Amino acid sequence: MIQLTEVWYWAGENQILSDINIHVKGGELLCIVGPSGAGKSTLLRLIHMEIFPTQGSVIVADYNAQMMTEKQIPFLRRKVGVVFQDFKLLEDRDVFENVAFALWATGVRRKKIKKRVFQVLAEVGLSHKRYTLIPELSGGEQQKVAIARALANEPFVLLADEPTGNLDAESTEEILELLKRINGRGMAILMTTHKEDLVKTLPARMLQIREGKIVG
Amino acid sequence: MSLNLLYSAREGIIGLKRARMATAITISTVTISLILLGIFMVLTLNVHRIVSNFRDQMALEVFIDNSLSSEEIRLLEDQITQEEGVAEVLFISKEEALERFREEFGDDPLELLGENPLPPSFQIKIQQAWQTPEGIEDVAKNIERIRGIDEVVYHQNLFRMLDRYSRIIIIVDIVLFSIVLLSAILLVSNTLRLTIYSQRKTIQIMELVGANQSFIRRPYLIQGILQAGVGGCIASLVVWGIWRGIEFRFPHLIEISPLLLLASVFLSLLLGFWGSLLGLKRFLNTT
Ligand SMILES: Nc1ncnc2c1ncn2[C@@H]1O[C@H](COP(=O)(O)OP(=O)(O)O)[C@@H](O)[C@H]1O
Ligand SMILES: [Mg+2]
Repeated sequence: MIQLTEVWYWAGENQILSDINIHVKGGELLCIVGPSGAGKSTLLRLIHMEIFPTQGSVIVADYNAQMMTEKQIPFLRRKVGVVFQDFKLLEDRDVFENVAFALWATGVRRKKIKKRVFQVLAEVGLSHKRYTLIPELSGGEQQKVAIARALANEPFVLLADEPTGNLDAESTEEILELLKRINGRGMAILMTTHKEDLVKTLPARMLQIREGKIVG
Repeated sequence: MSLNLLYSAREGIIGLKRARMATAITISTVTISLILLGIFMVLTLNVHRIVSNFRDQMALEVFIDNSLSSEEIRLLEDQITQEEGVAEVLFISKEEALERFREEFGDDPLELLGENPLPPSFQIKIQQAWQTPEGIEDVAKNIERIRGIDEVVYHQNLFRMLDRYSRIIIIVDIVLFSIVLLSAILLVSNTLRLTIYSQRKTIQIMELVGANQSFIRRPYLIQGILQAGVGGCIASLVVWGIWRGIEFRFPHLIEISPLLLLASVFLSLLLGFWGSLLGLKRFLNTT
């Protein structure tokens, strides 16, 4: 489903990733663990096709990075949900509007939007806060909104780049539980973290990354 | 589709409300640039008007032999009308000449001399193509050759001066106008970018969730059109007000047509659309 083959990535003179081979299967939960600066975010950006490999092949479902046109990128993004440690939410809108935004921005019909937003908010357990403004939520709740937004367009994989990086222990636990639940329903998840002990309890396959290389 | 456009408009307006400061700055900048542009536009249009009016006024005075009968004068008029470069021939009889003299100088030569010493004459307007110092000289010489013409009077130096300066004035005006137009375009697109910049996070999220480029652009193009439109309307009103003030003191010095104001507003809408498009270029980089 996601296939990286002999991927190298250079940013100017700097070699960021070298010889990466990763295969993510449908429904899988894969954790990429490595210290800060190892290249985890770069890896996810390659899959999300914000950047393209200097060498090697990145294939996400039917999309091949080598053959991507500018017009195709938005369609890939709709099928690859992403969440970040800084949530990237619209601070001056409420929970409902933030999730609806993703559907509205991708041309989904109004009636369908409402139904789908209620669905995903129920899924992440935030139905009761749907009209709360983002700044009034805890960090954990904000990340749940981001997850709901990422799921809104029914992606086949969820990329989570240090999803608990900004959260306290309790919220971290909740988010990991939620991700586990979502994965349990068949959604593939590719998650990164620099804290190995965090994901040890997860039913996940783990890959170690150091200085741009997969080391085990 | 149209409902979608409505949502984009709503999104655009929400964005403007959120970026209130940037919006206010943008509208002020647009207004000021367009006022300057409007003033120059009015001046430019009227410089041409004043100069061409002045050129139209360039007339030859053709004095006729005092002894000609009115039948002969009519024949002469026909002959002059057919000369190359002549646009219009106006006959001024001895009596009319006397009347004009009285009006102009307040004296009555009839009382002083006992008879009317003023000869009849023609006032001749020149066709536009001949309104040059050389052209006017040619026309004058040709008319002078006709039998029954006493003298042709014209002010070649005046024509020469008018010719030279009007050209300089028009060139300077066009240069200044171009500079003002260019600065207006740059200024407007730069300030529109300011509004877009203040909303870059929204743009980033749209790209993140998979909105396509044309969809992302839409709210910001609408914002640009709205802001420039408001600025354009205010600017048009201000220019119109200034013109009314001038008209009050110096009637008919400058003409403004309502069409010009309408065209300015339309132009400002275009400017807003285009300025936003330019402004967006720097923020949309998917690859
Ligand atoms: N555009 C870039 N230009 C230069 N260096 C970059 C660029 N992006 C990332 N890097 C470098 O690549 C390395 C990996 O970055 P990143 O993928 O963000 O690591 P991680 O997410 O594992 O902390 C870092 O050393 C970072 O400084
Ligand atoms: Mg990172």
